[in-house]
Amino acid sequence: MAKKITIDPVTRIEGHLKIEVEIENGKVKNAWSSGTMARGFEALLTGKDPRDASYVTSRFCGVCYSVHQLASSRALDAAFGAKVPWGGNLIRNLVMGAEYIYDHPLHFYQLSALDYIDIMAIADYKGNDKDLLAVKDKIVSLVKAKDTYPLTPRYEPDEFTVKDPDIVISAVSHYLKALKMHAKARNMGAIWGGRTPHYQNIVVGGVTSFPDINQVARFRSMLDEQAKFISEIYIPDVLAFGTGPLWPLAQMGIGGGHHNYMSYGDFQLDKDGKKLLFPAGVMKGLNPADIKIDTVIPERITESVKYAWYKENKPVHPYNGEQIFNLDKKNAYSFVKAPRYEGTAMEVGPLARMIIAKNSDILALVEKGAKPGAVARHAARAIETKMVVDACYHWLDQLQTEMTKPGFKIHDTEHWDPPSSGMGAGFSEPPRGALGHWIRIRDKKIENYQAVVPSTWNASPRCDNGVRGQYEESLIGAPVPDPKNPVNVVRIIRSFDPCLACAIHVIDPQDNQIRKFIIE
Amino acid sequence: MKGEKILNDGLMNIFEAHGINRRDFLKYCAATAALFGLSEFEFSSKLAYALESGSKKPSVMWLEGLACAGCTISLTQSLHPPVSSIILDKISLRQHDTIMAAAGHMVEEIHDQTVKEGGYILIVEGAIPSADDRFCEIGGRPFRKIVEEAARKSKAVLAVGACGAFGGIPRATPSKGISVTESLKKAKIDKPVINISTCPVHTDHLVGTILYVLVTGNIPELDSNGRPAMYFGDSRLIHDNCRRRAHFDAGEFLNDWNDPRQKDWCLLQKGCKGPMSHSDCSIRRWNDGINFCIDCGGVCQACGEPSFYEHVTPLYTVESESSKKIMAMKKAGMFTKEES
Repeated sequence: MAKKITIDPVTRIEGHLKIEVEIENGKVKNAWSSGTMARGFEALLTGKDPRDASYVTSRFCGVCYSVHQLASSRALDAAFGAKVPWGGNLIRNLVMGAEYIYDHPLHFYQLSALDYIDIMAIADYKGNDKDLLAVKDKIVSLVKAKDTYPLTPRYEPDEFTVKDPDIVISAVSHYLKALKMHAKARNMGAIWGGRTPHYQNIVVGGVTSFPDINQVARFRSMLDEQAKFISEIYIPDVLAFGTGPLWPLAQMGIGGGHHNYMSYGDFQLDKDGKKLLFPAGVMKGLNPADIKIDTVIPERITESVKYAWYKENKPVHPYNGEQIFNLDKKNAYSFVKAPRYEGTAMEVGPLARMIIAKNSDILALVEKGAKPGAVARHAARAIETKMVVDACYHWLDQLQTEMTKPGFKIHDTEHWDPPSSGMGAGFSEPPRGALGHWIRIRDKKIENYQAVVPSTWNASPRCDNGVRGQYEESLIGAPVPDPKNPVNVVRIIRSFDPCLACAIHVIDPQDNQIRKFIIE
Repeated sequence: MKGEKILNDGLMNIFEAHGINRRDFLKYCAATAALFGLSEFEFSSKLAYALESGSKKPSVMWLEGLACAGCTISLTQSLHPPVSSIILDKISLRQHDTIMAAAGHMVEEIHDQTVKEGGYILIVEGAIPSADDRFCEIGGRPFRKIVEEAARKSKAVLAVGACGAFGGIPRATPSKGISVTESLKKAKIDKPVINISTCPVHTDHLVGTILYVLVTGNIPELDSNGRPAMYFGDSRLIHDNCRRRAHFDAGEFLNDWNDPRQKDWCLLQKGCKGPMSHSDCSIRRWNDGINFCIDCGGVCQACGEPSFYEHVTPLYTVESESSKKIMAMKKAGMFTKEES
């Protein structure tokens, strides 16, 4: 007989998430993903000065703030008719680049690693490495003091958990190192963003931070340190785990889900925004032998609210979305709406981006027998972090050249005042995936504002057609031999890097330098 | 509130209160090991063991409600001291949903156990919904109730970020977020609350306040809005210490972000609320002193004030209630620099 278990809260994510699964014969048979917190940002924005939007929507999420500022500013750019000068775009690229650099390693070490290692194995470390011994001392002293919070309690280690003391202690030392690198990477964005979290410099028309040469040099020097960490520690760790102890999980493809992928594309490489670091595309049903990618047509996006706590409505395009709560709605189980592309549930995020980009490292992994799923998501993050690091050097060089030219500009001052009416959409590819903001302006005020964020795509409940969201689908078939220890469930869910506050903002009312994955 | 003793006088607390850190103390002990007829190693490890198991770290519980996790990120970006040393060496972090290994029912168990023990420092990030409890539930329980219950048994409460301290942006949404203070008052819970506002909380303000409480056992002096006076307070007006202040006095206001000549001019006409904002941002700056809002050409939106966000909108003009007040004060000559 099926047994239903609830994990609430799902921890080490951003926001409030409840996962319910039905287990039969040691495997997940059915799943429900539920966002349990809502504030109501879109309602707040109605009637406000449109320029408020980029500042306010940054507060959707304290982890991925810059991307909301950016997508929002792009929606405003479109509605205002503003043309962002190249200098402004370069700075926008650089601050968002910094976001990738802190976000992906943070996810791997701080939010995910504890699912894959048995931290208590550290006590058995027999080596002589001074730094590692210091880590051992730290953990052993916690154990002696009988106070190992917040590292325990945790789900019991299973057969896929890494227990080798040498590997575990090195992972934990990198966990500590990554924390420091995370803070330093955030400082990079602050050079132009003013501070983190919640940058202050991205507005409609461009940016507010007029750069100087010292800032460029400072960013570059900080980037050097990050680049070293990413190439020498982060990527090797992901490789070692992904192709070593976690290879069985990769081969099983746990957490695969619908295998439909979408990317809006991002990081403008030229003035027109036609050339992108991450290409745009949509793909339904993965067939590595015959990868067919279509252009994204944003008009084909709809959001369903059948199982969400909003007033009943047919699926509508975000321009026409409304947010009237109904907390008493029968059968509803989430504050997250259900976005669909041509009626289909999509996975967005690093794995989707790298598949749409036909990235050779990801394809090599698939060729060797890894199925796209939880483990592949970690690999995709590492690959694209390196791509962004390399691109940041390129943008810095360009900025340095650009800012010495007479008439250098960062902002379209001609289009600062709100138009009497207008509408616009802004798209971006934050670390977590496809992000879209839509705005309608009337009488110089916001008439309607909608955002469909990455975690809305991934964490959505069922839609009008009863199709499960990507989290839900990805759990189907996951092995859970012991219902008291559903470690695979959290591994799968965390592999998406959930960001639930973003998902529920409504209420109302390359290069080839990356080492190939070596699979023995 | 001021001067309340909130920590047990554990052995290490006494040493630390006298400025003796653990390492120094061990050095001293090792040097005197001979007196006890033991090897240095034996002595120090025995003593270390005794100290580690005898000195209980103060327990801390962090709860997140109507929030964006920005304040959590502020905690994790502490470099000096590193966040790992705060979390592992200085406090016993019982619950922090974004950091802890446990999930689901284990979180509830730890929570219940900690509440039962009592005497912890409670940190609340985010506002509390007042329109309907169902706008924020964790483990199927209303966040409001979780906070009330945890506050009752706590030694002190830190309300972090604009949301926790004053309601912040959620106050203006349909969930009608209210501050921790308001929520506890409604429930008739009398506990000292330290408001560490700004959106998000400043890393130094957060870490500094936690350390102040741990080191002294006391609550820091608070200003009229319940904020630590060492960071906020009447004497810490952003405007007074702003690098653009001379341009304000000279009537030079930035109009075009592209113009290198105007680069450092006053941002008042772009909606800057520095003249009514209390915080040490313009001196302390953010992210290890690298920058702060005004110096990136961005605008101070008074995110540390109770008026944020409802009374500071529209953000980028001089039409908000807050900006109107500033303009009236300016007209009345209230910002004239005194001769010193």
